[in-house]
Amino acid sequence: MLTGQITSAVLGVGLAGAILFLVRRDHLHGPYAVWWFAVAAATFVLGVFPGVVVWLGRETGIGYAPVLPIIIGLSLVLIRLLKLDIDRSKHERKMRRLTQKLAILEQELERLGGRRSTDDVSDEPMG
Amino acid sequence: MARVVAGVRATLGCQVLVVDDASGDATGAVARHAGALTLRLPLALGAWGATQTGIRYAQRNGFAGVITLDADGQHVPESLPALFDAQGATGANVVIGTCTRRLSRAKRVAWWYLRTLTGLGLGDFTSGLRLYDRAAVNILAGPAASLLDYQDVGVLMLLAKNEMVIRETPVEMLPRREGHSRVFASWPVVALYMMHTTVLCLAQIHPGRRRAPSLIGDAPC
Repeated sequence: MLTGQITSAVLGVGLAGAILFLVRRDHLHGPYAVWWFAVAAATFVLGVFPGVVVWLGRETGIGYAPVLPIIIGLSLVLIRLLKLDIDRSKHERKMRRLTQKLAILEQELERLGGRRSTDDVSDEPMG
Repeated sequence: MARVVAGVRATLGCQVLVVDDASGDATGAVARHAGALTLRLPLALGAWGATQTGIRYAQRNGFAGVITLDADGQHVPESLPALFDAQGATGANVVIGTCTRRLSRAKRVAWWYLRTLTGLGLGDFTSGLRLYDRAAVNILAGPAASLLDYQDVGVLMLLAKNEMVIRETPVEMLPRREGHSRVFASWPVVALYMMHTTVLCLAQIHPGRRRAPSLIGDAPC
């Protein structure tokens, strides 16, 4: 029979360990690694020392302290999602502009090289 | 489409550029055969993404302006000089060719809504028959226009925000010979489009900018 303290410690250490493993394996880069490293540290501290939550609840005036990590966690997830969509929009813009540039440059290349475009080339020898 | 390319070349004698939005058919070959230059996008970017490619090509090669028209046959090449006439008469940066008579009831309601929301006094927001001068081309070729999806309200609001003068002129239009409207395809698509556009408008709205470009003349088209 596990006590609540051990369960939360196992969860916290497990999650922190998994994140650390991924960061060290270079699956998460730059700013992402920093963010997830902070998350790993937080889960480790909150898991091993659940008293921190009670203390935080008292300090912030929240009567039911256990709800605090849930609120903070959800807020961070929302911020993270927002950032994700912002990054996706940036990537989409870059991808579209690159695609357009590629088409323009390809046309210029054909014009300069005097070569027929790719869909005309197939029926004649290259060169 | 070959007829459209030939028609534009005969009417204006200008360079015709056809943007092939990663289509699987012989668009490029047909267009080249008709005497057009072609740009082939390796990935499909949608209506505006393809149009912007052409606009960027024009900017890069120092063209004085761009006329966009659909290749599906609804825009009549012979009506293009009317756009130049309107530009000459008003000094506008952007001239839109519209045919208000051909608008369906749904479109009339949609345009009334968008007129109210954007403060742009236009009769048709999605007409793809447009003339852009160099200043407008420079704005539309930039990254600020790259996340738009259609050549419509977003494009017009970006132009208005940059103090471009937008005018409409009545022109003749025909029923499409091939293809269909990308916006008015089905009711769910329209609903989604109106929702996107509303959010776009709310994000872009500026209380000081409610000038009303007017329709030039009122001749039946």
